[in-house]
Amino acid sequence: MANWQEMMPSTRAYLMDKVLYELHHKPDHLEAYTTDADAYLARFGLPDDLATAIRSNDVAGMYLTGVNPYLLRAHCIGVKIPEAESLAALRRLLDHEDYNDG
Amino acid sequence: MAEITGIYTASHTPVMLNFPDNIPAALKDEIFAAYKAMGDDFMAGKPDALIVLSNDHLHNFFLDNFPAYCIGCAESYESPIEHWLHAKRRTIAGDQAFGSYLLQNALEAEFDPSFSMEMVLDHGSLTPLELAGVDPDLPIVPVLINCVQPPMPTMRRSYNLGKFLGQAIADYDGVERVAILATGGISHDIATPRMGMVNEVFDETFLSHMESGDVDATIRYATDFVHTAGNGCEEIRMWMAAMGAANGAAFERTYYKAVNDWYTGIGIGRFRVS
Repeated sequence: MANWQEMMPSTRAYLMDKVLYELHHKPDHLEAYTTDADAYLARFGLPDDLATAIRSNDVAGMYLTGVNPYLLRAHCIGVKIPEAESLAALRRLLDHEDYNDG
Repeated sequence: MAEITGIYTASHTPVMLNFPDNIPAALKDEIFAAYKAMGDDFMAGKPDALIVLSNDHLHNFFLDNFPAYCIGCAESYESPIEHWLHAKRRTIAGDQAFGSYLLQNALEAEFDPSFSMEMVLDHGSLTPLELAGVDPDLPIVPVLINCVQPPMPTMRRSYNLGKFLGQAIADYDGVERVAILATGGISHDIATPRMGMVNEVFDETFLSHMESGDVDATIRYATDFVHTAGNGCEEIRMWMAAMGAANGAAFERTYYKAVNDWYTGIGIGRFRVS
């Protein structure tokens, strides 16, 4: 597999990036999200599948949107998705035939 | 004319601070001791300033405006920026005049870095400084390289930037003694299906290239094989810059271990510049 899903972010990936960035950097955004996730996500006008992936803590689903992995990682820690759960969700996507050990 | 007292390379990961006990205590102690030994070594050179070659992990910079290179020109830097990082908030002194000098000279030398007079440094700078036990009053100049969001500057361009920095530091009259800490890498994946599968073959080969002193072969290997070693491995751009600043000085690894439960190939090394 390659290091990156997209060598230039798509608009869908950018939208995901924007939500996960603002959620963890703008004052009061994390509180607003944890209080009412649907209302918070509605601010961004996301396509339904992207909003659903975020709201349901679907780590694999978020990854597959092309979101920047650093933003995904920070989000997983920031909203306290259990570490083992994040790791397992991502690992299930691994196709060993794609694993390149150099 | 400033003397470069030491050039060091070291991995960083927030896991060291957030989940240190994911690995056996003896291994954790061994790794922390290796960072402390690095810190003792470069503080023994009595630097007046420290250049920190690192990267921002999408905290100060976002995709609305993402610099390839950025030089810090602030009087001080708060850290960490991550609300979730298990680290005490602290203020690190900055050398504003030195940063401004490097910025202006970089532009004269036809590099085009951005600059920042207000950055809150993330774990990429804080973790190695903290583990090395560096005095927070030692003024720093952060030089940040985009390693986290493609498209990114090339390995060779990063080497050339480091080469420029080495010469510019040597020509600077504002301080007498300068150390360089380049931090990032080596093999690791962040939030991908490969996360936790360190590519030890890559790391060993990369370190061997570094130790061989063959700059072109090292840059070529870094360029051609980084895709096998994880998105976090893109941070070896800082190692390229350190190699450029070292201007041919010999490199030696002081520590390496593939630590899958910290998701990272933990590598530490130094260039024999003095």
